Amino acid sequence: MTSSPTAGSTRTGASSRSAAGNLARALAVLLPLLAIAVLLGLLAGAHELSLSRALSGLDPDATVLHKLRLPRVALAALVGAALSVAGVALQALLRNPLADPFVFGLSGGAAIGIALSALLPGAVIATAGALTGVGLLPQQLFACAGACGAAIFIFAIGRSGGQLVPERALLVGVVFNSFASAFVIGLQAVVLPEKTQAILLWLSGTLGYETWSALTAAAVFVLVPTVALITLSGRLNLLQLGDEAAMSLGVDVARVRAFSFLCASAIVGAAVALTGLVGFVGLVVPHAVRLLVGGDHRVLLPTSAIGGAIFLVLCDAAARLMFRPFGIEPPVGAVTALLGAPMFVLLLKRRGRV
Amino acid sequence: MTTLLELRDVSFRHPRAPALTIDRVSLALQAGEVLGLVGPNAAGKSTLARLLCGLLTPQSGEAILEGAPIASIPLRERARRVAFLSQAQPSELPFTAREVALMGRAPHLGLWALEAPNDHAIADAALREMDSADLADRTLSQLSGGERQRVFLARAFAQEARALVLDEPTVALDLAHQVLLAQAVRKRAAAGGAALLVLHDLGLAASACDRLALVVQGRIEAVGTPKDVLEPESLARVYGTAVDVVVDPATGVPLVAARISR
Repeated sequence: MTSSPTAGSTRTGASSRSAAGNLARALAVLLPLLAIAVLLGLLAGAHELSLSRALSGLDPDATVLHKLRLPRVALAALVGAALSVAGVALQALLRNPLADPFVFGLSGGAAIGIALSALLPGAVIATAGALTGVGLLPQQLFACAGACGAAIFIFAIGRSGGQLVPERALLVGVVFNSFASAFVIGLQAVVLPEKTQAILLWLSGTLGYETWSALTAAAVFVLVPTVALITLSGRLNLLQLGDEAAMSLGVDVARVRAFSFLCASAIVGAAVALTGLVGFVGLVVPHAVRLLVGGDHRVLLPTSAIGGAIFLVLCDAAARLMFRPFGIEPPVGAVTALLGAPMFVLLLKRRGRV
Repeated sequence: MTTLLELRDVSFRHPRAPALTIDRVSLALQAGEVLGLVGPNAAGKSTLARLLCGLLTPQSGEAILEGAPIASIPLRERARRVAFLSQAQPSELPFTAREVALMGRAPHLGLWALEAPNDHAIADAALREMDSADLADRTLSQLSGGERQRVFLARAFAQEARALVLDEPTVALDLAHQVLLAQAVRKRAAAGGAALLVLHDLGLAASACDRLALVVQGRIEAVGTPKDVLEPESLARVYGTAVDVVVDPATGVPLVAARISR
């Protein structure tokens, strides 16, 4: 039964099974899909856009493309990628596929952060922005701080006997999210009663039309922690074996966990500052991508980012197309929740813990 | 004789335990030997194994890895020198058997944690050694308890650490795979490594180990050859049940059987 180790005999097979090979194959599938989704996103809308007219600089098509559709699609892609990456990170940290920035309460914490920033005098906000030295949006700093605060709070309450209980943490997160929405609505009703309608839309998750400078700042907030998470992805794999096993394989568990939470919080903060509370993206996308590429986080993290971009661009296009006859446009958060909530129940049932 | 791993006068108390879990224990694992930890439930065997690997920090005394206090050695460096496998493994893992075996290579990888062909070859060889090559592409949740245990053992072997600390490695394994594991461990000891096995099966402990340490209530009651340690009167006293020990005339290995009244 024993076989002598014959190194080299499996080498050809090994290279095709490597993480890099898996990643390349998944990207070969996902990148064309992303191109198609972006094209759909650019074409879908109230104005029948002709790409050839727009690209040759003819108005109104050129203006619609450059001033409206492109920034909108870029925003959807960025936020979709951000929420999916944060979802994968939270799922890895909690060892539970039900975790999601929205369900886990990070989004709610970011919303509170932004609402509080509206209360502060302009001078304080300008100072906070200047302190970063890179001119990033101060609102996003408050959102990130809020998300971090929520993560720490939920970690503190979600522990029992010195160990994080994932189900308990998720329950706290859900409750905290409801509280955050109520808090934000209450606060805004007092401070800016005329803006209540806009706040309600923002809380349900709305894609608007952002300037390129706002998008660039948000992209930095998303990309830097995403790259950091990708460098940690091998260690996130080991965390799935349990804290002790990960430590015995050389992982500084507490440090990796804290740093990953910080990254996820920054990503969520950037996304929430732009679009409010878009829910369930971080749940739906990683689950679907996992079916395609498996559980290796070195592959799962980058592919989920692209999968999330595809998903939210398509959801946004769907929101614009499906309700065109009625002359309205539901918030994209409503579309993702319609898809995501049943998915959550399905996942919960499959884990046999309903 | 080189000492690979050592506990020096170690005491440990679990945060919520009323009394000391480990009470001033000294124990050394020598290069070239397979050392078995035996003793009743809750005697502190698993705690000793964790203290030895530096996974728990003692309140007094210290663990020494190849001459240096283990606490002073960075985690990754430790992981290249000591492989540890606990008695319980998560059952719901989204990884294939090959991916789990490859995780044993983690302490040897660089910043992006990408395995080279050599790492794949080592992981595949470890799977083959544990008779699990045919499981390589199946996900862990599809495997039986014994098959999963073989894959996790392959992970520990793929780590290529000089010292192995395995906590009840044979519990889910059938007889043939227990023998396979014992031989894999002995092969590494013969090549200058060493293994500490926590075992409940005293017969297996006697035939697989060079020395045994009998752990009772957080102390080491006896250390020595299986013949010296597996002595009917002390076993009966420690376990609280009648035990017969017969020395196999062919091999000189003690055969242990508990007496069960009918």
